[in-house]
Amino acid sequence: MTIRILLVDDHPIVRQGLKTLLEGHSDWEVIGEASDGAEAVEKAKDLSPDVMVLDVTMPRMNGLDACRLLRRQYPALEILFVTQHDSPQMMREALEAGGRGYVVKSNAARDLLAAVEAVSQHRVFTALHSRNMS
Amino acid sequence: MKLRILLADDHEIVRRGLRALLEKHEGWEVCGEASDGREAVEKALQLNPDVVIVDVGMPNLNGLDTTRQLLQHDPHFKVIVLTITDSDQVIREALDAGARGFVLKSDAARDLVSAVEALQNKRMFFTPRVNDLVLAGFLEKGQTVSRNETPKLPTLTAREREITQLLAEGNSSKEVASLLNLSTKTVETHRSNIMRKLSFHSIRDLVVYAIKNNLIQIELPPPPKSPTGPTAA
Repeated sequence: MTIRILLVDDHPIVRQGLKTLLEGHSDWEVIGEASDGAEAVEKAKDLSPDVMVLDVTMPRMNGLDACRLLRRQYPALEILFVTQHDSPQMMREALEAGGRGYVVKSNAARDLLAAVEAVSQHRVFTALHSRNMS
Repeated sequence: MKLRILLADDHEIVRRGLRALLEKHEGWEVCGEASDGREAVEKALQLNPDVVIVDVGMPNLNGLDTTRQLLQHDPHFKVIVLTITDSDQVIREALDAGARGFVLKSDAARDLVSAVEALQNKRMFFTPRVNDLVLAGFLEKGQTVSRNETPKLPTLTAREREITQLLAEGNSSKEVASLLNLSTKTVETHRSNIMRKLSFHSIRDLVVYAIKNNLIQIELPPPPKSPTGPTAA
């Protein structure tokens, strides 16, 4: 079964990079993109993704607030944070907000595929710059 | 003959996105990538690209100092600076460093191709805000000092700037020495000079200086959760 993925980041270049990485996987499909948390909520309603790859710091609505809202409305949706913030505290907040995964952008090319694999199977995946945990 | 582009950004994800964008353009190829400024300088000297695209906020050696070093080695290098902020100071420093292009990362998907095309045609490319500043004569005003202005902080040498960045990134003197192939004693001497020149008393002062002077760029985390929580759009 194809895993349907929505990419959310305020930088189109980052979304493009994530897309090139994800589209190599035959069972995954990037079904849409959003540039802030509010648009992510709208697109989740329209597109029903299985997994959302979500940045934290975004205009209009940040990723943490979007996650809290989305997890209430769509309990089956799994959220993987991909963020600049290499911080255990931020990671804790992200998981408390309902995220299933947390990956730092500086290591996204290394960790993203394993992270999407894990969260799509409802497993937690976290990887800060200094440590990997799954 | 293809236009050869070197990409320098500490995030591989960003480099992938930039590569995907640029390689759609017929006649262009990404000839190499670097994940920090030091590697960017090495690769540029090795590969002799036509255009170098550098992120301002890179570890070890930031994009502005990378630009300065590249142009010191060879003034014919054409550099486009990519940045998350278009503050007056970053703009001024990018122009002073010799960058021929200035693009905001958030607008890279829209502007970067135009920027590379401009440099390919021996023109410069800056975001509209930079053009406005130039037209307003900002750069000329910024370079004059009147008697009533507060004296500028002493200028750091290129080596002192490098060391300031590395220390502000959390490296110890020993680690800085290893990165720069210097003795720890030499780094300690530079560190003392820096602290004395800038009248700093702690590493915290150094970090604040590094942020204010764009030796390191930071992205601020979102504000804490509000008591009432988000509402649907």
